[in-house]
Amino acid sequence: MDKPKVGIYGLTGCAGDQLVILNCEDELLDLVGSLDIKSFSMAASGADDQCQLDIAFVEGTVVQPDEEKLLKDIRQRAKLLVAIGTCAVWGGVTAMKNEVDPKKFIEQVYGPAGKVFEVIPPQPLSSFVKVDLSLPGCPIEKEQLLRGVASLLHGDLPKLPNYAVCTECKMAEYPCILVEKGLPCLGPITVAGCGARCPSYGLTCNGCRGPVDDINVASEINILKEKGFTWVDIQNRLRTFAAPAPPLNLQTLEEAKNA
Amino acid sequence: MKIVKLPKEKLAEFLSCLRAFGEIHAPTKRGEKSHVFAPLKEPAGIELDYTRTILPLKKYFLPPMETMFNFQAEKGYETPAEESDKKYIIFGVHPCDIHSLKILDLVFGGKYVDGHYFSRRSKAAIIGLDCIPDEFCFCRSTGTDFVDDGFDLFLSDIEDSYLVRVGTSLGDDMVKAADTLFQEVTVQDREKYKKKSIQRGQSFQSEIQLQDLPEIMDLEYESQIWQELGEECLGCGTCSMVCPTCYCYAVFDELNLDAASGQRIRRWDSCLFKDYALVAGGHNFRAQRSSRVKNRYFHKQRGFVSQYGRPSCVGCGRCKEYCPAGVDIIEVVNKLRSETRV
Amino acid sequence: MYEPQNTLQGPSLYQPYPARIIRTLPQIPDHQLFQVRFEQEDMVKSFTYRPGQFLMLSVLGTGEAPFSISSSPTRPGVIELCVRQIGRVTKALFNLPPNALVGIRGPYGNGFPLEQLRGNNLLLVAGGLGMAPLRSLLWYALDNRAKFKDVILMYGGRNPDEMLFKYELLNLIDRADVKCLLTVDNDPEGIWKARIGVVTKLFDHVEIDPENTFAAVCGPSVMFKFVLEKLLQRNFSKDRILMSLERNMQCGVGKCGHCMIGYKYTCLDGPIFTYWDAINLPEMI
Repeated sequence: MDKPKVGIYGLTGCAGDQLVILNCEDELLDLVGSLDIKSFSMAASGADDQCQLDIAFVEGTVVQPDEEKLLKDIRQRAKLLVAIGTCAVWGGVTAMKNEVDPKKFIEQVYGPAGKVFEVIPPQPLSSFVKVDLSLPGCPIEKEQLLRGVASLLHGDLPKLPNYAVCTECKMAEYPCILVEKGLPCLGPITVAGCGARCPSYGLTCNGCRGPVDDINVASEINILKEKGFTWVDIQNRLRTFAAPAPPLNLQTLEEAKNA
Repeated sequence: MKIVKLPKEKLAEFLSCLRAFGEIHAPTKRGEKSHVFAPLKEPAGIELDYTRTILPLKKYFLPPMETMFNFQAEKGYETPAEESDKKYIIFGVHPCDIHSLKILDLVFGGKYVDGHYFSRRSKAAIIGLDCIPDEFCFCRSTGTDFVDDGFDLFLSDIEDSYLVRVGTSLGDDMVKAADTLFQEVTVQDREKYKKKSIQRGQSFQSEIQLQDLPEIMDLEYESQIWQELGEECLGCGTCSMVCPTCYCYAVFDELNLDAASGQRIRRWDSCLFKDYALVAGGHNFRAQRSSRVKNRYFHKQRGFVSQYGRPSCVGCGRCKEYCPAGVDIIEVVNKLRSETRV
Repeated sequence: MYEPQNTLQGPSLYQPYPARIIRTLPQIPDHQLFQVRFEQEDMVKSFTYRPGQFLMLSVLGTGEAPFSISSSPTRPGVIELCVRQIGRVTKALFNLPPNALVGIRGPYGNGFPLEQLRGNNLLLVAGGLGMAPLRSLLWYALDNRAKFKDVILMYGGRNPDEMLFKYELLNLIDRADVKCLLTVDNDPEGIWKARIGVVTKLFDHVEIDPENTFAAVCGPSVMFKFVLEKLLQRNFSKDRILMSLERNMQCGVGKCGHCMIGYKYTCLDGPIFTYWDAINLPEMI
């Protein structure tokens, strides 16, 4: 079997997910050995940006019309498109304030010089193209990436956890941050896959992997309200990483709060 | 049953003697308030006045995640190399947790015997310890506050000593190996035990009435209570993970990068997860969270009774203590009951 | 220390045994009949099952899923599975190269209560993929013809192109030892030689003695509902109506929990249930 032709791309983001690929130290040789990498700008020059691809991995958020064009071009060339990282999957931190006109931010940050930037409200890949597989995380988990690639090589889509961080947290027997310490942990509504990394250090889950399937955000809001957190704090917390996700949009949260 | 007495000041010495029988696992502190069963390094690290550990004993016999087979193209599925034959002793197990093992034995035994579970089970000795209930405990109601079997030794606190019941031949060997530490039980000891037992019985703060619960659950199958619970429940799986008798698991294959070899894994699962009853093609027999919550209660309090003649709940209080949304089984059952009374 | 009652020697309960897909026979779009044979000759000889039982089939690296057995134990050697390409495992199964290695364990489940069926009339009512488990019972009955009184098959599909085992079943129409009634909802091309109309209409063509007949019903839930109505109208006892149910199964032996309905495990107490069981179990159908 020919090695699958692969492109690895980054839109707006911190490139941390591409870095995870490079950080697969022990497996890196096997990984690049099993793929025919045609484009990986972060790691190699001489990219072929015209060829047909079996798999495209795309990191980052779409914040410029040019990125939208690039993404659509990638989609058109790729049999499978994999969104890597919470920016690509859910919009990430760049999309946390989409209710405010981005031009305002540009003016604040760059002054009159900012006029050269053409921007659109930051959106995840799925707002523009069909995404075949989403690997969330800020950044992605190395293990999930490798298992995911292996499944794709095998011809399947990988089975990803569809349950909450709490499940992994309990499996590892970490003391509950929410119940024991009363801190605003988002473990109950955040999709697992990280092995409850933050709770393992005694820190709250900040929801960096995005919402779990079948999220009960109303109940989480209720818990945080009862613990005395303000509505502004709760909203900011819930909308840090995945604000464009339908269950976390402002109106839905408002309704959940009053339910 | 043979009963002997171990003075408390001899406990550390007894623990040292026990090391000859295997690695000792005992309740130890984790975080500020929690406890877990973990290998005991120093006798001083043991926390015998714990109420409950985060995870129950099932983690030893049905680990959260285990490799059932390795597989390789053109070879198929092969049993991984035998886990170590190391014996271990789980020390300080409360009666509810011992009862939970007896329940898991029923599930993993029967017509089809799960060797993965039982091979681990047969390597572990159980040394029980009595306890004083806290506000979450309701084992008196579930009939699991005392045990008559299921342990090798069982220690009951009588102030300055432990009364030690010897449950098995192995337990007797353990006592014999530390012969000089043990004393005969006196009349005063027996009186102390009985007094303690009464005190313990009186210190339960939570109660649940289970006798006719199966009928009540049938009657309240369409109750609004399930809807309300579905709204409260986060579906986070915490209750299933910490429950000593939740045994559901998922099975899947994990591939290595060669896409030709890998591992068949089994991992704890929960009936509260959305895709638990999903079949190929997309039909979900329990698509609503409320129906999944109901199923969980139904299985524990109704289904298990039909199957094994007793509910699978042992009253350990873990689900109540660890639920982030504060769902309280006692409240749920009481609500179901009062609905019936109307 | 726990002393297990049963011996722990021997392979794991969950050990998939190597088998080869020796032939695939396309049926209708997205459906194939897979002929599977164990690699080990002693397994080929020793593997037997009841009609209505299922097995767990593993596609290496993709995972394991339950499949009802479509062949009859009266024809040993090769196991036949009629499969619709619908989920992760079935998709991978369809993509396997010829003679591919798969894993098989089983058989599991209760199967049809053959001892009880003996000496009775059999009425098999199938719709769509429901023919897959009933085909096993059909051939079992035809190969043990003396054990049963009348054997009636009623099978309906949407159109002639969606009839499973089409030629095999059309060949039964002329046999004297079975009443084979086939029907399609529509015949847009006008090629169908058997009946047209929904499966329940076939009841008009048969005399049934409900006291001495067992009905085995398998098919989509809409069909179920109407067939049950018919059977009850004909005074069938609820204990004499048998159905095969589908659930998520990950162990096949009553441990993993997924197929639990109320207080029954579909994999142990089923997948064949009587209609009386169904009424008494919430969320059964």
